[in-house]
Amino acid sequence: MSVEVEVNENDLAEMVEQVWESYLDPEGVNPLIPTYDENQPSEVHSSVSITGSWTGHIVYASSTLAARRAAAAFLAMEPDEVSEEDLSDVLGELANIVGGNVKAMLPPGALLSLPQVVLAPEATARFPNTSRISGVYGVWDGEPVSISMWQSRGDNHNKEGAE
Amino acid sequence: MKILIADDSRVMRQIVVRTLRQAGFGDHELIEAANGREAFDMVNSESPDLVLSDWNMPEMNGIECLRQLRAAGNDVKFGFVTSESTPEMKDQADAAGALFFIVKPFSAERFDEVFAPILG
Repeated sequence: MSVEVEVNENDLAEMVEQVWESYLDPEGVNPLIPTYDENQPSEVHSSVSITGSWTGHIVYASSTLAARRAAAAFLAMEPDEVSEEDLSDVLGELANIVGGNVKAMLPPGALLSLPQVVLAPEATARFPNTSRISGVYGVWDGEPVSISMWQSRGDNHNKEGAE
Repeated sequence: MKILIADDSRVMRQIVVRTLRQAGFGDHELIEAANGREAFDMVNSESPDLVLSDWNMPEMNGIECLRQLRAAGNDVKFGFVTSESTPEMKDQADAAGALFFIVKPFSAERFDEVFAPILG
């Protein structure tokens, strides 16, 4: 049975801030500026799923340019040098880092999946029987970036074998 | 010293390498593996002095790699660099014989703190 999630928006924002401090904005000059717009557009996204004591997904979504800049920052290279493989790798790692940190705040018995990367907007993703429970939405150097948590509905657990 | 970095993300392996350099450990020989199975094989073929391993990887995960190494009688210095850190995972890592547990995102300062006593 999935528990009530104990990770709130402030926790998520703190994790995101750590990622920016460590990798995307180590000099503290280009933070993610909150927009609070959960419907902001994206062009690419990545996700990890968590199953067990809490069941759901963590989704990182951004514009392609923001993903390219993220990969460039991770790899210490120029954005136009970033390959599609680098871009996918970095997107997956971003979901993995946030997902791993979310998992660390959950009760014991949660399993983290390997990341899935889709070079298409988050709006093309479908996570059955889930609802978005939290998110950090912002712009990074003018480009949209969001990190959101999607929780599987508890009643999903009571329908084994049912339609 | 020879250091093996195991992570399925090539980008993260590069970041680990860069952070080792930033922390002043760039003079060591650094080799890389893309999953736990490859790491297990490379520990046997390359005899590294230290292994820095991700936890969640395809083929074979990091904890399984460590357990199989110890089961085979290999006592290479081994620790985790992972985005996941729960008390249960740390317990599993300790029980399997891991030396350290570094959580992503990490800093050069954290690497220095962990590796200075090991690498000198």
